[in-house]
Amino acid sequence: MKKENKKKATASQKRENRQGYLYVMPWILGFFLFTLIPMLFSLVLSLCNWDIVTGLKTVNFVGIDNYKNLFQDRDFLRSLKVTFKFCLISIPFYQIISLAVALMLNMNIKFMKTFRLIYFLPSIIPVIASTMIWSQIFGESGLLNQALRLFKVQGPAWLNNPRTSLYALIIMGVWGIGNTMIIYLSGLQGVNEELKEAAKIDGAKSHQIFFRITIPMISPTIFFNVVMAIIGSFQYFTQAYVMTEGGPLKSTLFYNLYLYIKAYKDYEMGYASAMAWVMFAIIMILTLIVIKSSSFWVYYQNDDKI
Amino acid sequence: MKNTKLFTGLAMLLLLAGAVLIMVPLVWTVCMALKPDSEIYLKSFFPSTPVFGNFKRALTSIDFTRYLWNTVKILIPNLIGTIITSAIVAYGFSRFNFKGKRVWFLILLATMMLPGQVTMIPQYLIFRQLGWVNTAKPLIIPAFFGGGAFYIFLLRQYMSGIPKDFDEAARIDGASSLRIFSKVIMPMCKPVLTAVGIFTFMGVWNDFNGPLIYLYDSKKFTLALGLSFFKGLYTSKWNLLMAATLVVMLPILILFFVAQDYIIDGISISSGTKG
Repeated sequence: MKKENKKKATASQKRENRQGYLYVMPWILGFFLFTLIPMLFSLVLSLCNWDIVTGLKTVNFVGIDNYKNLFQDRDFLRSLKVTFKFCLISIPFYQIISLAVALMLNMNIKFMKTFRLIYFLPSIIPVIASTMIWSQIFGESGLLNQALRLFKVQGPAWLNNPRTSLYALIIMGVWGIGNTMIIYLSGLQGVNEELKEAAKIDGAKSHQIFFRITIPMISPTIFFNVVMAIIGSFQYFTQAYVMTEGGPLKSTLFYNLYLYIKAYKDYEMGYASAMAWVMFAIIMILTLIVIKSSSFWVYYQNDDKI
Repeated sequence: MKNTKLFTGLAMLLLLAGAVLIMVPLVWTVCMALKPDSEIYLKSFFPSTPVFGNFKRALTSIDFTRYLWNTVKILIPNLIGTIITSAIVAYGFSRFNFKGKRVWFLILLATMMLPGQVTMIPQYLIFRQLGWVNTAKPLIIPAFFGGGAFYIFLLRQYMSGIPKDFDEAARIDGASSLRIFSKVIMPMCKPVLTAVGIFTFMGVWNDFNGPLIYLYDSKKFTLALGLSFFKGLYTSKWNLLMAATLVVMLPILILFFVAQDYIIDGISISSGTKG
């Protein structure tokens, strides 16, 4: 009797397996074809020299030379510097502004939905369209300089000046923080109102409530947004490609732009693959640092530790 | 009490100022698009007389209809492939206890963390070997393999919230799992399926990197790529460039105003603050 039950169980488990795998098969196939195999291929490729123009015959195994050469490549180091600089300036800047906007929107304000709509709007505009708009604004006789002229100031051609180009891109980015702002807003809406009320009754001042309750409660959201911003900085591409082409004087040579140039302009596929893996490693390390440090400042509600 | 009123008043003012700053570039784009050629570099913000003919000129100086058609030809199969296959895979993950499910689901989540650059070059080389470069295939075929980890995740979460009683009731009536999927689960997933469709639409419409890598021939360009090509040709004709930019933006703006709640919810879910 028992044995028969077991047989039945295994038979139904087998059917469950067969059916389950049948349904998830499209993704598993896709995972092998478009992720795992390319990943392995990329790893091998990063250990080779290969000029794609001359074909498969010229693949040349060079070991870790590509990785070694990277750190002697001045343009590579430059692209790292540009990207880190962008991270260091833009991330605090964007996070503070989007959090401030989210806080204000969360204040039971009139026309909240309309404001939310307006602040979010630029972030859904196709990147290529916003780069067109801002190329004009930052031009020598663009909107910004026309406005400055009202104050008798002659602005530079913001994108053609190595001292202003990166900052111009950072300012343009503020326009598109709607995404981050929405995530903060949604995090703030999850903050326990009763807790704030209780603190208020106990005589807590509003800045105390903000720093002792609101910030800890939304710290997982801050964490998420910072990690996403780091990843985003390393994948920054279209704006730099279309607006400045990495220039002038390589002042906006972002990591991902340099990777693109190496792969699709210079056809150095092995070298570019090595760059992709270094990018992956940097993102992982930075994320790990944020995670490690998060135990000091991220508060999860279901944690025992308070 | 007085204090909070002052606070909200101040917040209101700041928000208003910010909203004006955000709208200026958009209003400026519309104004520039309507300016006659002679006023492109004039100091005035508004055109003296709006020239609606700029739109026609812009759209005829580039091969606009061709770019639009090329974009649509990529968009439609992407929508079909993504919606159907991501739902099928999500159904598998939410309704069957197959062996190794946990591991596969973890792998699925992990792939969301992998930067696309790592697989971009080998994918390109593989597609090149297949002779698919300079065709739309590399931008279409992958959508039929689950359509993206995030969409599968989103759908699985939603499906897991649907009580299994519905499945049981249908099963007692003799329905097969495929029938339960198509007649019971799918209709109940309409809101998430809509969100997946909207995100796919925006992803394909806004994609610049993919077409840039795979399409060389200007006859095959999508709208996003065509627009940057146009910028290279007409560097100083800002009125025409802005007119073309507005036309490329328009479908996304319409979609946004119609479906903003879906979009905002989807973004909140992706961050784990809601869902």
